Amino acid sequence: MVRPRVRKILADLWGNRMRSLLVIASITVGLFAIGVIATLHRVMTEDLRLGYAAANPPNIRIVAAPFDQGLVDHLKKVEGVRQAEGLRGFDARLESRPGEWIGIEFKAVPQDETRQIAQVRLVEGKWPPGDREVVIEQYKIADVNAQIGEWITIELPSGKRRPLKVVGVVSDQTVGAFASGPGFFLAPVQGYVNQETVEWLQQDLPYTYNMLYITVDGDSNDETRLWEVANRVRDEMEHAGGTVINIAVRGSYDHPNRRYLEALAIVLVLLGFLIVFLSGFLITNTMQAIIQQQIQQIGILKTLGSRRYQIILLYMGLILVFGAIAALTAAPLAYRVAFQRVVPLAKTINMAYRGPRFLPHVILLQVGMGLLVPQLAALAPILQGSRISVREALSGVRESQQGRRGWFDRMILRLRGFSRPTLISIRNTFRRKGRLLLTLTTLSLGGAIFIATFNVQVSMDRYVDMVSRYFLADVNLTLARPERVLEINQVLSDLPGVAYVEAWGTARSEMILPDGATGENVQLLAPPVDSRLVDPVMIEGRWVKSGDQNAIVLNERFMSDFPNLRVGDVLRLRLNGKETDWIIVGYFQLAGRSSGLLAYTSRESLLRVINQPDKAMTYRIVAEGKDLSKEEQEALGRAIEARMAARGIRVLDVTTGSYLSSSAAQGFAALTGFLLFLASLTALVGSIGLTGAMSLNVMERTREIGILRAIGATNRILLKLILTEGMLIGFLSWIIAVLAAFPISKLLSDSISQALFGNPSTLAYTPTGFLLWLGAVLILSALASILPARNAARLTIREVLAYE
Amino acid sequence: MDSPALPDRQPIIRARQVVKVYPAGGRPVQALKGVNLDVYAGEFVAIQGKSGAGKTTLVQILTGVDRLTGGEVWVDGAALHRFDENQLAFWRGRNVGVIFQSFYLMPTLSILDNVVLPIDLCGDYHPRRSRELALELLRQVGLEEHAYKLPSQISGGQQQRVAIARALANDPPLIIADEPTGRLDSVNAENIFQIFQSLVNGGKTVLMVTHDEGLASRASRRLILADGEIVADDFVPISVSEATNKTDD
Amino acid sequence: MPNVADTLSPQNVPSNNPSGQIPLRQPLVEMRQIYKTFKSPAGEFTALKNINACFYRGEFVSVVGKSGSGKSTLVNMITGIDRPTSGSVYVDGVCIQELGESAMSAWRGRNLGIVFQFYQLLPMLSLLENVVLPMDLCDRFPPTEREERARALLRLVGLEDYADQLPAEVSGGQQQSAAIARALANDPPILIADEPTGNLDSRTAEAVFDIFIGLREQGKTILMVTHDRSLAQRADRMLEIADGVLISDRLNGEGSLS
Repeated sequence: MVRPRVRKILADLWGNRMRSLLVIASITVGLFAIGVIATLHRVMTEDLRLGYAAANPPNIRIVAAPFDQGLVDHLKKVEGVRQAEGLRGFDARLESRPGEWIGIEFKAVPQDETRQIAQVRLVEGKWPPGDREVVIEQYKIADVNAQIGEWITIELPSGKRRPLKVVGVVSDQTVGAFASGPGFFLAPVQGYVNQETVEWLQQDLPYTYNMLYITVDGDSNDETRLWEVANRVRDEMEHAGGTVINIAVRGSYDHPNRRYLEALAIVLVLLGFLIVFLSGFLITNTMQAIIQQQIQQIGILKTLGSRRYQIILLYMGLILVFGAIAALTAAPLAYRVAFQRVVPLAKTINMAYRGPRFLPHVILLQVGMGLLVPQLAALAPILQGSRISVREALSGVRESQQGRRGWFDRMILRLRGFSRPTLISIRNTFRRKGRLLLTLTTLSLGGAIFIATFNVQVSMDRYVDMVSRYFLADVNLTLARPERVLEINQVLSDLPGVAYVEAWGTARSEMILPDGATGENVQLLAPPVDSRLVDPVMIEGRWVKSGDQNAIVLNERFMSDFPNLRVGDVLRLRLNGKETDWIIVGYFQLAGRSSGLLAYTSRESLLRVINQPDKAMTYRIVAEGKDLSKEEQEALGRAIEARMAARGIRVLDVTTGSYLSSSAAQGFAALTGFLLFLASLTALVGSIGLTGAMSLNVMERTREIGILRAIGATNRILLKLILTEGMLIGFLSWIIAVLAAFPISKLLSDSISQALFGNPSTLAYTPTGFLLWLGAVLILSALASILPARNAARLTIREVLAYE
Repeated sequence: MDSPALPDRQPIIRARQVVKVYPAGGRPVQALKGVNLDVYAGEFVAIQGKSGAGKTTLVQILTGVDRLTGGEVWVDGAALHRFDENQLAFWRGRNVGVIFQSFYLMPTLSILDNVVLPIDLCGDYHPRRSRELALELLRQVGLEEHAYKLPSQISGGQQQRVAIARALANDPPLIIADEPTGRLDSVNAENIFQIFQSLVNGGKTVLMVTHDEGLASRASRRLILADGEIVADDFVPISVSEATNKTDD
Repeated sequence: MPNVADTLSPQNVPSNNPSGQIPLRQPLVEMRQIYKTFKSPAGEFTALKNINACFYRGEFVSVVGKSGSGKSTLVNMITGIDRPTSGSVYVDGVCIQELGESAMSAWRGRNLGIVFQFYQLLPMLSLLENVVLPMDLCDRFPPTEREERARALLRLVGLEDYADQLPAEVSGGQQQSAAIARALANDPPILIADEPTGNLDSRTAEAVFDIFIGLREQGKTILMVTHDRSLAQRADRMLEIADGVLISDRLNGEGSLS
């Protein structure tokens, strides 16, 4: 036979189902959120690392003048090299819509499936591509605008156009891994073709490589070691007569979006803690009410000889059951939702998602927290309830609550000018200060996070705006080969709608480390010294100005990768095979740490160093009108393209300014979208808290509602009374949420910014979040009060006064 | 079974100068103003008085449900004024059966579980034996067929009989009841009274607060309280057997 | 059981009405063949069995009986707090069991003042606010007059100095006095009190009872449930109920008539 006291726990649980449900819901929401967060955190960290490593990514990439398989085979023998593969990469354009050309980066793969490094995963269609066929990487497949089986037109740098048949879609983990530009999010469409197709496209027999992928033996994550091997390979390659253009290295687990995920993880953990906290408050509140309702029973138990510890154990047992039920409910629910959410996120950050799986530590975490957190949260109410004397318990009067009047109560008592029913609502609001405090905290924190999400979103938008300050031109034109600046300027300026043209120099260079070894790639951009098309955001130092000689400004990536490099130091770069010293005059902020090493200098300096006549490949064009729409920019791009074609000038690429900044923004949209999901979760916790508190308030005041009925209160008055109280709490919580939103926005924004860009954010605020939450919280509090209010209106006085 | 108690023996209840003060709305109220009382084993004491006279307070002090402000109380040799809350609870659970006007059964437990509960809390709990004992007690109050019902499924008079069975669960020598018939009609009230009488005959000591004149007159001894003091006490040193005979007349 | 109430003629009802108004023949409250049965899982329980009674304007009637006799159920029929299983109750010509819960509440607010054993003041309102509250709920008096009227009522029960105190800060007797003032807020013709002195010591009970006497002098109709016979006998008329049946209905002696 089950002991009567155990039976009492179970009977209480079942006997008051609504109340049990409320507690279980409070615990479940918290556990659910923790489960989702822990699962996502775990799965994403794991899959990003392992998914990348599973593709067998190259540790070293060497771009070189054309070489053949013989050299590759020779280089395989270099110490430290595990695998070496030659491949051929080239840029082209593809027609995404009639007249609309976007960049595409091709890699040629061997026909047979001997490719071992940088393996792709087939998503759809077939792999590898056959003759005159192309396989597209999934991330930007939408830009291609073609289905499997359809033909696309590509245009080679030579101006030749060729049709290719799309036969497959793959996922390539190495996208953005070696781009020295802004990384994964700005990478162009990736296409894969076979050697025969390359030969057909480019007609340069025999087939040669221009890129070498190498994986290393042993520790493939130690960058120093990777550079040692890379330099040995370079020496060997140059010794064999090859020309190395540049070298890049990357660890085997170092997914290009690792930093992005780190930012996400920080947000996840931060919100996870908050939600546990909030759900704890919720439990405290509900348990307090439960104990309050059971005070008489506690009195009876004590009369029957129950000692305090027995009562404490009794209620801890009850909570244990609540926690267990909540954990059992939350775990499968969290599992489902987490693995549902992970799919779109996986696509956004190019993660090789390995499918749903059983995560024992997540379950353990949920069960552990489900058993522990409610006990902690309920400890205070239980200790308090078990302390009450039998006489107080039986009479239902807490002497400790009588006769005490703090300054706040006196203030509330002095309120004048309201009708008595309104006064009742106002004073009732502040009656249970402990409960009000917890309810307000929960609701306000949920609201503050909700509001903060919107602020973070605009901050991200502002960041995108900031990125676009480096892409101020409406159209960026890249020619197939350098052309005389004067001539191109003339051609473009004649075009209707063009207001202004700038010729920009670009160069790819490599850092020369202090010990003389070659370091990473640095992308060099060289606008005219008086450029109107860059409006930099400086972190330190200044921008390049006229009169500077070999001055250079570096992006924030240098700060995190080379913390010893300061303003005023000299940076040695190898450019066109020649080593030059540059003076660092400043650091600017661009696309964050996940982008590559990027440096700006003046075109004048660059021309001097590479000793080139006044020719340029890159031109930035500003239209006459201001703030052109995406469509207008595209139209201008087409006009420019047509003019160039008419003049017989070969164009490599035409990109609109808005395309660049929107690509950069894509990653953040996913991040803030996810943030909003979590914010809604905290808001949900908050509103469950409010509903609970309101029903507890009404439940406890059933007797008073009966009195009001007895002295003439109609349904409408009762409804108004309770609604006013709920809305008042809602409104108060909004005010607190508004205040709390400022530090929380800062915290969230800084954490993300620190992870993404390596420096605190420039935080922006928007009224959207504030207003949206005001609306949401008022609706929520109205809903939270209507149900208890309706129940109260339904009670008859006899029932109510029999409540004693 | 106790041997018939004699008045010259040590009293089962001894209260000396008991004072109880409540803080009511800031102004303390003296509910008991120095009460002295001796009750001997085997007595059936009725306590009377108007509302606010201090009856309930006296009962709460004697059961250890409330602490006294001043004075001393010994019950069955235990110095209640020196006990803390936990000691009082444990002592009470084993030594006093308490019965209330409002029955105070645990609403979510079956009748049987309600009776077993005190044994579980501070008696010698044994899954099978305790249950059998509880069933036996329910048989004594005529409710064994209701053992598996909830309190809300039986009438008020029946609930009070369950409360009596519960009070007897740990076989305490003393039963204290606060207006046990206050919520019952006359038939049920009579029924409860007769159970008390048989308990006294069985050797228990019973203290009962009541404002039913008819019932009070049938107890072996009557106390009347007014404004926190005992104003009348018809205590006559008689043996239990005599007391029993008297009430049977 | 003979029904004494039917034989009671209104002319016999003593009138100490200061206005000299003679009570109307028409009863203010009329109960006809009231039965009330409570159903519970424990079985049916008939709390009232064929109650017939009339109360007239200006009467001070006490209802006595033991616990569980049905006296509270009887007044609950008149206040509309509970509804009869069969039979009908007319108060001032209104058949009250036909009103819905919300309409009943509004009707009660204007026509009845109720005093409970446990005072039942709203704990978060001051005594004054407690007294104004029914006026706010019923809108009978203009808003500007309400506070003044409430103060006058508190003065009537001797509580003008405690107007701004919270209920928890005053004694039980004072709370009950305030509850009476609240019951008078909308100037209802009938005052119903369920054990108003049940929770008070004898001296305070006496003071509260005196307030009722004073109100009777002013022409209110008062119905008071009590189990204190000595108080009950000082009302104009006393009903006695036992096990749900009205067993006596008689006019009291000159003690209350003087």
